[in-house]
Amino acid sequence: MTDKDNIMIEDFFKQAAQQQIEDNGFTERVMQNLPETVSKSRRLSHLWTLFCVALGVVIFFIFGGWEIVQLGWMGALRMVATSMEVFMQTAPTTEITLNLWVLLGLAAFVLVYLPYQTGRKLSSVL
Amino acid sequence: MADLNDISLVTQVAVFHNKRAFDQLVRKYQSPVRRFFLNQTLGDEQLSDDLAQETFIKAYLNITKFKGMASFSTWLFRIAYNVHYDYMRSLHQTEDIDTSSALRTSSTSGNESLKMDLYKALSLLKPDERTCITLQLIDGHQVDKIAEITGIPANTVKSHLKRGKDKMAIYLKQNGYDR
Repeated sequence: MTDKDNIMIEDFFKQAAQQQIEDNGFTERVMQNLPETVSKSRRLSHLWTLFCVALGVVIFFIFGGWEIVQLGWMGALRMVATSMEVFMQTAPTTEITLNLWVLLGLAAFVLVYLPYQTGRKLSSVL
Repeated sequence: MADLNDISLVTQVAVFHNKRAFDQLVRKYQSPVRRFFLNQTLGDEQLSDDLAQETFIKAYLNITKFKGMASFSTWLFRIAYNVHYDYMRSLHQTEDIDTSSALRTSSTSGNESLKMDLYKALSLLKPDERTCITLQLIDGHQVDKIAEITGIPANTVKSHLKRGKDKMAIYLKQNGYDR
């Protein structure tokens, strides 16, 4: 195909390329036909979640849920305290020797390596 | 700048379900999208509008899938191409569409003879050739964009363009456009 052919083809399509189609109500028709289902279902889902949470809170207080939580919490605290007491009474009393180099290595890991790694990861994310 | 404006509108649609923002996008792109379908259907205005409407509704429903890797225009044209491809497949039609019915329905707007010539010329092309030719010569897309829109490899797009242009050159010469 020659350059002349190319020019001829481009000229032929030039007018078609400049053609602008008037809207003539097309956009309104599209907007009227947009499905509502997406946002409506999402809204209904939010309302249902809200209703369930409210119902749960009401039932919780009506049936003395707060007292049950308090009792459970106190029981757990008592159990921890008892376990600590038993541990203190039965813990081995032998001395633990500390290696200076192990301590220095641990301090270097916490003070140098961890901040370095954290900074590197943060900079790659940001 | 235009792309940034598009991305801003798309964000408003995707995050806040802002229909006014989508209205602006439809208003902005209705002309190129409907023109694309007019060229693929050889001037069938009713069918083109139906397919264009389907394209915008699909774009609305899948707006959260637009990641901004390509421009919104390219993404929208890709949907339009798929809508047209699905329509053609639903017709179980492997050959060119019925040109007589298409040309018949296009006789309502101005610049008739040129339009008739354009659709007659386009009817000589195979569907993929027609898509590549119109996307390049009418919608002004580069080969890589056409490949992105159609999902056809760039080299195949180039082959379609070459064959299509050869056919167009013969048709135009036979109809006295070289004088």
